[in-house]
Amino acid sequence: MRERMRALWSGAALVGLLVAAGTVSAAGELKGAEAPDFVLKSFSGKNLRLSEYRGEVVMLSFWATWCGDCRAQLAELGAMRDRYQDAGVELLAVSLDQSARQASEVTAGATYPVLHDAGGEVGRLYDVTKMPMMVLIDRGGVVREVFEGFRRGSEEQYLERVQALLRE
Amino acid sequence: MLAKWIASVSVAALVAGAASVGAQEAPIEIAAAVPQFSPRADSGAEQQTEFRTLDEDTQDLKKQVLDLNRDLFLLEEELLFPSNTQTAVFVSMDVGEFFGLDSVELKIDDKVVANYLYTERESEALIKGGVQRLFIGNLKAGEHELVAVFTGQGPHTRDYRRGASLMFEKGIGPKYIELTISDRQTKQQPEFLVKEWE
Repeated sequence: MRERMRALWSGAALVGLLVAAGTVSAAGELKGAEAPDFVLKSFSGKNLRLSEYRGEVVMLSFWATWCGDCRAQLAELGAMRDRYQDAGVELLAVSLDQSARQASEVTAGATYPVLHDAGGEVGRLYDVTKMPMMVLIDRGGVVREVFEGFRRGSEEQYLERVQALLRE
Repeated sequence: MLAKWIASVSVAALVAGAASVGAQEAPIEIAAAVPQFSPRADSGAEQQTEFRTLDEDTQDLKKQVLDLNRDLFLLEEELLFPSNTQTAVFVSMDVGEFFGLDSVELKIDDKVVANYLYTERESEALIKGGVQRLFIGNLKAGEHELVAVFTGQGPHTRDYRRGASLMFEKGIGPKYIELTISDRQTKQQPEFLVKEWE
């Protein structure tokens, strides 16, 4: 009985390790690689392609209306974008909501482009497993950082990385 | 004591005189030293030549890589899409005054093979005369049906959706089809044409 329990526990631990390794590799695989290109319709009606932002530092944020942390993160990123836009920083907020209506209501008055990934294809392309997720892309179109989740104080970390990319 | 003082002053005067003579002679010494720098200048020129040849070598290497890449691309296309089954569909725009292109959905034999969203920059490039390859694939010889659905903004910035279709015969050679969006001035409407290239 005891041996069976031990085997069960070790099996569960192994599964846990594999899952953890999987989540680490998802973000890890993106880091240092060329950011997968995509085109999505924005709430303004324009189609936007990521590769057309080459030459700018892009903060690609995946969010949804039901996620409170996402809204808090967007507010911080929006302010950062407004401050550094002239220096070449852009924020692309990709909503993973099924309905575009709610997302457009939440982001009404946003100065940055808000895109709608209705089919979740771009979310799958970037392997979004946790929200909010912010992918920081450098001027050459390479993924430099992947931030999952948001806590008060995370914005300082974002600012530091964005400033470092601007200095490059 | 006085003799000692006179002697020290005369020695000091002699030293000062010698120093002034040395200072006067110094430019002569530098001038004489100039030829000594010439070997350094030569090595600088050599270095520059070395850099130039290195730069040329890098450019040559870059060109070779580009050529190789082009050859590989052509080889890949030939292997993936052999000419006897190759079918390609292109999109072009003429004027674009009555239509702002948003997307094109392409169906061949009732199967969606391409769905493309156009950014402002891309549609501008098409209006300027660019031609986009929307689809490349393999089709067996025989009769096929192509349906293209265009969406965008029509006259008076109204949402516009229009389809165009073509029944075509795929022979042994490659098949090229062009989807053309043009303005029909008489009707003040856009026109969608599907053309086969021979």
